[in-house]
Amino acid sequence: MTRRSPLLVAAATGLALLLGGTAFADGTMRYASIGEPPSLDQQVGTSDLSTTIAHHVFEGLYTFNGDYAPVPLLASGDTISDDGKTIVISLRDNVTFHNGKHMTSEDVVASLKRWGEFGSRGGLLFANVESVEATGEYEVTLKLTAPFGPWKNLLGFINGGAAIYPSEIAADAGGEPIAPENYIGTGPYKFVEWRPNRHIELARFEDYTSPPGDADGYGGARNAEFDTLQFVPVPDVGTRVSGLRAGDYDYAESIPGDLFEELDADEGVRTILNGGPIFGLVFMNSKEGPLKENFALRRAIQTAIDKVPALQVAIGPEKLWRANGSFLPEGNVWYTDSGIDNFSRGDAEAARAMAEEAGYAGEPIKLMVSTNYPFHYDSAVVYTKQLAEAGFNIDLQVYDWATLIQKRSQPDQWDLFVTHHGFVPDPILISVLNENYPGWWSTPEITELKAAFTATADPAKRQEIWADIQGLIYEQVPTMKTGDVYTYNIASPDLEGLESSTLVWPHFWNVSK
Amino acid sequence: MFAYTIKRLLTLIPTLFAASVLVFAFIHLIPGDPVAVLLGDTATPEEIAALSAEMGLDEPIYIQYAYWLGNVMQGDLGRSIFFQEPVTRVIADGAETSILLALMTMVWIVVLGVPIGVIAATRHGGWIDQIASGGAMFAASIPTFWLGLYLILIFAVTLGWLPSSGFPSVFDDGGLANLRYLLLPSLTLAAPNSALIIRLVRASMLDVQREDHVRTARAKGLHPAKVALKHVFRNALVAVAAAFGFTFAALISEAVVTETVFSLPGIGRLVVESILRRDYPVIQGVVLVIVCLYLVINLIVDLAYAWLDPRVSLK
Repeated sequence: MTRRSPLLVAAATGLALLLGGTAFADGTMRYASIGEPPSLDQQVGTSDLSTTIAHHVFEGLYTFNGDYAPVPLLASGDTISDDGKTIVISLRDNVTFHNGKHMTSEDVVASLKRWGEFGSRGGLLFANVESVEATGEYEVTLKLTAPFGPWKNLLGFINGGAAIYPSEIAADAGGEPIAPENYIGTGPYKFVEWRPNRHIELARFEDYTSPPGDADGYGGARNAEFDTLQFVPVPDVGTRVSGLRAGDYDYAESIPGDLFEELDADEGVRTILNGGPIFGLVFMNSKEGPLKENFALRRAIQTAIDKVPALQVAIGPEKLWRANGSFLPEGNVWYTDSGIDNFSRGDAEAARAMAEEAGYAGEPIKLMVSTNYPFHYDSAVVYTKQLAEAGFNIDLQVYDWATLIQKRSQPDQWDLFVTHHGFVPDPILISVLNENYPGWWSTPEITELKAAFTATADPAKRQEIWADIQGLIYEQVPTMKTGDVYTYNIASPDLEGLESSTLVWPHFWNVSK
Repeated sequence: MFAYTIKRLLTLIPTLFAASVLVFAFIHLIPGDPVAVLLGDTATPEEIAALSAEMGLDEPIYIQYAYWLGNVMQGDLGRSIFFQEPVTRVIADGAETSILLALMTMVWIVVLGVPIGVIAATRHGGWIDQIASGGAMFAASIPTFWLGLYLILIFAVTLGWLPSSGFPSVFDDGGLANLRYLLLPSLTLAAPNSALIIRLVRASMLDVQREDHVRTARAKGLHPAKVALKHVFRNALVAVAAAFGFTFAALISEAVVTETVFSLPGIGRLVVESILRRDYPVIQGVVLVIVCLYLVINLIVDLAYAWLDPRVSLK
């Protein structure tokens, strides 16, 4: 032994420690996300990333089964009066919050009231609600001013939806997002910590009582198989893919289309398509500028555009997109071909003639787009070229997303802007039908159709009216759909229980490794 | 030296005040609304305005500044709009990563950059110098995102020796062994920075080698290694000291590309993402901390000058 031996031993030990295995325990599922969600409070935000995490923690009265039909979650059933104006919802009597409190109708009423006043989508239902009251320890009664068909779909959609919180938290929260220390839900996983740019950690809720029935979509049995779920922000896509291949992550989201074929062929990686497609939208300004009330000019713009080249450029592999003009995808109960002949004509000559007839004389048309979403920008570049070929003078204005969403609230700043929309189970949730959403579409025709659409609960009648609404969208063109995009995620083949595609957001109850 | 240090520390106050006014004004001049980002795409202008009013973001900018400054004077940097956490906590979490990453990178720089610079200078014009200088140019030219991704591919995916990304705190499970998460990022950051140090050490040593006291030392028959280390290297360090100081500060505040590639929860990434989200309190807090850091490092560099070169007086 020389004098240096202890140093060498220490160095070797340190090196071995540093280079030690990086495998994570089987009890932990690590999810590589594209970034940080804005807040996990489901009532006041509509971020998909937020819901991907939060729907393990928070639950609503209803959720959706594999056919996108609403099924009870915290509710156990409901009855509706003959006039359609009184809805009595019975609650499960075995639900416990993560703070140990037993859930009763008092919590549900406080949560619904907050959602109705401040919730992202609550105003839609509560514009028709006369009162919401606890009519028993496990019974809540909603009284409506008029029958409102989509009430159950709205109560079931957790994104921007009616998550149920303990009454004291709901009552104190007001319009501000609930702070992390008050993330108390009823879900199979409970919130543990949020460490900025490091992770959001959830742990199995040991006192969870699963809803009855077999697992079906988000409905039925929910078993938390993992001890811990960690959602790790990994902004670089190369690192998300490499990290999953290296075994540092079990699941990674939002992988670009150009990697799809390579990853799909890789046995060490599982690709999972998102079942509910997102779709791009190009909104038109109904309040100010050359497009205001000039439906003929809007139709000319719509006629000039061929959506397929933009989808090819922006998304890539054909398996990941559909040039589908229906706002809801084929196979969905809301699918309709009403108006879709005008979805993607790409006829520059016809568009030029229509524009002239509409009185267009080459004024600049401001098209706002953000580079934060590459597929928005790529699509906008293709559309700008196509519109120029049809004689339109497009002023392409490129901003970061935060700037764009501020500018779009100022009607004098834009004529067109590009955004996208997540899958929704009821068309009433599509933003173009919200007359306060930038674009401000509120013609007498749509107001009348919307009133009829929400006034009935008859599915066949609602589908019929929705077809009329979609037809009107293609006629008055408050927005242009750009096509369906099936985003995809990747997972470790070791994960068991994952379905081949997600319903909307991935979920990790009933999943193990 | 004590009086000088106190005097320099006092000059921090007006500098910090000026920096806070500028940052506050500039960040509020950029279009964009943190509440709109928070509420998501489907929020209407009315909903955004209502929550802005509830959060006090509809007040005139000078009122918001006065509130903020009053809180800062009491050690409260405010609450992150996005994270809904105290800004001090958000910054502290990021600071741990950034400081450890900068320290590990500095170790690489000292271990690799300084000796190579010394050897290149002592073998000036020879093939070792050519290789060292060429290698330094190459290392300085490699984009960090490219180098980072390739290091992940080799050491994490192919060999499985090191984690690909992330950094659990050294106070979490794993303790100091969690530093292995910083090995690849620190190597990535060290490559271009070592190159600069190599060239700086080499150039400084070549300058000092031409001075009279070095010629005298050689004439007295001292061993070349002793001349190089005791008479040349120590004097060359005066120029290198400032570079070390500012490299360290830059590693903390400007490592955003490396932090993004390796998903590290550091200060650089925090400030860039906070700008994109318009999370005003975090941006203001981080910038204030970074300004403090630069001022303190500047002071340390000045003190180091005096220690390394007794001809420099502190006045």
